[in-house]
Parts: sequence; structure tokens; C-alpha cells
Amino acid sequence: MKLLIVEDNLKLLDAITETLVAEKFLCETSANYPDAHEKIVMYNYDIMVIDINLPGGSGLDLIQEIKLQNPATGIIVISARNSLDNKLEGFDLGADDYLTKPFDMAELVARIKSLIRRRNFAGTSIVSFGDISIDTTRREVTANSQKIDLTKSEYDILLFFFSNPGRVLTRESIAEHIWGDNMDLADSFDFIYSHMKNLRKKITSTGCDDPIKAVYGVGYKFELA
Amino acid sequence: MKLIKRTYTYTAKWMIPVIIIGSVFCFYMIEYISYEETDEFLTYEMQRLIDYHEAHNDLPEFHQVANILPDVRFEKPMFKDTLMLEPGDNEMVPYRELYFTISHNGNDQTLVLRHLLIGRDDIAEGTLLIILGLMFLITVFLYIMVNSIAGKIWNPFYQTLDKLVKFKISGPLPEFPATAIDEFQSLNTTLDTLLKKIADDYRHNKEFGENASHELQTHLAIIRANTEKLLNSPDTSLELEELQKIYTASTKLSQVQKSLTLLSKINNREYSNPVKVDFRKTVEQAFEIFTEAITIREISVDKHLRACTLTMDAGLAEILVNNLVKNAVKHNIQNGTIRIILSPVELTIENSGLPFNGNADMLLERFAKGKSGNIGIGLAIVKQICELYNFRISYTVSEQAEHKISIFFPQK
Repeated sequence: MKLLIVEDNLKLLDAITETLVAEKFLCETSANYPDAHEKIVMYNYDIMVIDINLPGGSGLDLIQEIKLQNPATGIIVISARNSLDNKLEGFDLGADDYLTKPFDMAELVARIKSLIRRRNFAGTSIVSFGDISIDTTRREVTANSQKIDLTKSEYDILLFFFSNPGRVLTRESIAEHIWGDNMDLADSFDFIYSHMKNLRKKITSTGCDDPIKAVYGVGYKFELA
Repeated sequence: MKLIKRTYTYTAKWMIPVIIIGSVFCFYMIEYISYEETDEFLTYEMQRLIDYHEAHNDLPEFHQVANILPDVRFEKPMFKDTLMLEPGDNEMVPYRELYFTISHNGNDQTLVLRHLLIGRDDIAEGTLLIILGLMFLITVFLYIMVNSIAGKIWNPFYQTLDKLVKFKISGPLPEFPATAIDEFQSLNTTLDTLLKKIADDYRHNKEFGENASHELQTHLAIIRANTEKLLNSPDTSLELEELQKIYTASTKLSQVQKSLTLLSKINNREYSNPVKVDFRKTVEQAFEIFTEAITIREISVDKHLRACTLTMDAGLAEILVNNLVKNAVKHNIQNGTIRIILSPVELTIENSGLPFNGNADMLLERFAKGKSGNIGIGLAIVKQICELYNFRISYTVSEQAEHKISIFFPQK
């Protein structure tokens, strides 16, 4: 899986690259418009992560260029501009997803993996972790060979965990993943707690080991015992 | 009231004294002229009789003498008004008489000349006709005059006004047409300067907001990414609690920044893409987001939704409704209630919550402080959107701790 990351802030670029490399993605980076443009013309990428505000040009123009060069490339826009117009314009040009800065690396990883699933690069829509597997097209979860019914949020959280196994997911990160901008984070912790409790109960009721570990005061972590 | 209508009204008011004074003047003028002419006529006749008498010692065959008073003497000819019965239509008619004395064969003979005067009622009638005719003419000409003058003179003003009304702060500056009238030229120049200043301020403000937002969010993203990295570090000697504090603060900061940017954008009218928004659908969608939160808290929801379509920015409509529903869920209690009423006139959302003493309207302000500290900015955004669209908003808390927010849509 080959990725191109275009972001002008080098520190952020480093942080993103480091995370994605740790996820075993093949990453190339670019910090300005001309360089990114050249790379797009010369090479093929499966996924591109693009910032809109770039020195030397707009990320929106880059999206147009990619669509011309290689329409199969998945595009995730990351922008500090929260304006609806930009978002719509990005989608109109063919961006697949949009993230506003600042975002959690866990969220970026989840979005990239979700995009990969939707593009069906891996050829299957089933992701498994230990005894638990998720069929992402049918939104069905099986644990210990038993089907379990999850609510929308529980499903979203589980899939979020699946995208970031072994990584600490902060409560803020989970809240943002479920509600986006629609919930003030500090107020949502009660709800997260309830969701976690229910999710754990549903998984362990199948005889599965509880894969969700609480990290005191921070959040949760998904790993096999 | 329109400028031109005002002009008519004022002109009409000033016409009243003109009519009154004009009528009186006209009346006396006609009367005076009528006397003047009659007296002149009588004087000529008197002179003719005196001359004839001196030449022929007799009166001419045709004369106007109405009466001869023997042995009565007037030193000087004397005019006198009198009324006489006109048998024709049986009414008293005014006459002018001239008494003068001639000496006939040594005897004083006073001759009386008499001539019909124009009656006062006739003068009044004449006056009325003249004034009415004049008024009619004046009105017609005034109308034409005011219209054509107003059209010509005020035209640049109306053009300026029209451009001002259509002016949008995010659009290009209007160009006012040049005019030869100094006042309007000065108005246009002043407006030009003013609008330029406003547009510049607006642009700077917007740019500042965008730059501040971009820089801030990018660096917050770095803080967050690195804190996240440390949180995931296998080195357990790290102080997780402190890291979590940094992480939480940076998350909070970016949220506040987003909200403030949104507020300032609403204030700057940067969301001006009005479409017809089906509010019932917006409300249903908002509840969908919070369904699970509502289930977890075991809140009973009572919805009374009637069709309601409003013309506004779709994004803002969503933000408005989402914030209201979020607020009702967030500040609710276990086993609480939410009651929402939507009609073409109002959107009211009522929820059980904690008792609140004080002015509930204060909760609509930015960073209003609640019992649990900062209660945030969501309702301030709601209020700002309401202000933008001239919706009236009220927030009340009953003694049973029922929180009620009502938004009234303006009716056309």
C-alpha cells in the first residue's frame, strides 16, 4: 500500500509519516505544491493525504490533477480550514474523506483503513482480530463464532479499535470518532463509558476474552490478552 | 413615507395659508375694483351733467339721474351705498349713489346718480371660482413639476441608495455614479471611503481569523500527535496523568477555537447560501445523532413536529438544531424528558435538568458559567444564528427545573 502525504508543516508531516510507517504503510512525503505535483505525475499512489493550504498552490488543484492521472487513488483531505465550502469543494473534486486539524493519528489511521476497505484493495471486506471478526460491508460482527448485535456507536467504536489495535485510544478520540463536532468532549465521557461497558458485555457474553483494556484516566486499548 | 409623498404633503400644507390669504385678498381686490369702476363711472356722468348744465342750463335728454332733491345742498359730491329692493327676484340689491349739487336758476338742486354694484355674494362666488381654478392649475403643475424635479434631482440619490441596499459585505464594492449635485457627490465620496474602510476591516478580520485558525490548529495537531505518541510509548515510567492533561487541554483548545471561528464566521455573514430547509427533517436527523445517548440516559422523548420550511443556510440550520438537541441531551438527567415542538411559527425544546437560579438568558452568552463550571459555547452559537436570521429566542427555567428554549421564526 503506497501512500503520499502532502503537508507543509514539517513537524506534523513527520508525526503523520511516523504513525503511518508504524502501520506498515509505504509512505512518501511532500511539503509543497510543486514537489507534490511532480510526484503525482511521475508515480502512482493508492492513497493520498493532502493538506489544502500549501506553499505554491492549493491542495484542491492537486486533487484535480490526481483524478486526471490516476482516478483510482483514494484521497483524504486534511485541512485547518473548517469551512463548509472547502469541504464541499473537496468532495466535488473527488476527495473521499475530509479531516479537520487537529485530528488524532488514530482517527487518520482509521479513515485510511476504512478507505482501503471501501476501495476493496485487500479483496475482502472481513477484518478479524483474535476471535472477533467484522464484515464491514454487511456491518456484521461475530465473536467466538456467534453473531453479536451492536448499536451503531458500539459498532463504530469496535471498528475504530480494529483499525488501531494495541494503540491507546483516548476518550476524546473515541468521542470525536462517534460524534464528530456534535458533542462537547468532556460531556461525552459518561456516554463513552456506557458504550464501553455494553460493548464489553456483548463480547464477553460469547465466551470471548475481553480485548478492551482501560488505560486509567486516558482511554482504552484493544489488545489480546 | 416616500420622499416624493413627503414633498407633496408638505407642499399641500403650505398651500392652505396661500389659499386663505389668497381668497381674502382676491375678494377685497374685486370689491375694491368694483367700487373704483362704479365711482369712476358715476364721476364721469356727474361731470357730463355739470358740463351740460353749464352749457344749456338743462339736463341732457339721456341721463342717469335717479332722483332730484330740491333745496338740498352738498358742499362736495358725496358717494353713498344703499340697498334697494329688486322687484324682479324680490331681494335687496346694493347700489352706489352719488349726491352732488348744481345751482339751477339760483336754486340748489341735488342730483342723485345711482348705479348697480356687484353683490358681495357675487364677489365671493367669483373669488371661489378663481381660487378653485387656480388651485387646480397649481396642483396639476406642481404634480408635474415635483415629479420631474424629483426624478431629475433625486435620481443620483436613488441610484446610490439602490446600490447600498444591494451591497453585500462579501461582494465587490459598489460604484456610485458621478453626479453634478455637490451634496450627493459628497455623500457618494463619503460612502465610498466608509465602505472601503468597512470592506478592508472585514477582509483583515477574516484573514486574521483564517490565519490564526490555520496556524493554531496546525500546531495543536502537532501537540496532539506527539502527546498521543507518548501515551502509546512502551516506556511506563512516563507520567500518564500529566500527558493526559496536556492532551485534554490541547483538544479543548482546538474545540474552543473551532467554535469561536464558527461564531465569528456567522457574525461576518460568511454563510450566506440560503436554501429552503425542511426543519422537520433537520430535527429528526439531529435526534438520530443522539439516539444512543438518549437511550443510555433513559430519556423519554416527546416529539410534536409539524412541517416547517425556512429559507436559511443549510449548514447553519443543522448547527442550530444539533446544538439545541445536544444541549437538551447533555444537560439532562437520568430518566429525564425531552419535549420538542416544531411548527411554522416556533421551535421549542424543553428538557428536564438541574435547577437553575438566576437569569436563564445569561446561559445564551459565550462561556456562561454553570454549576459545573464552563458550560460552553453551543448556545451562544444558537443565539448568534438566531440573530442573523431575526429569530427571537428565549430561555427559561421553571421551578421544576424544566429548561425551555423557544425560537420564534419571523412571519412574513
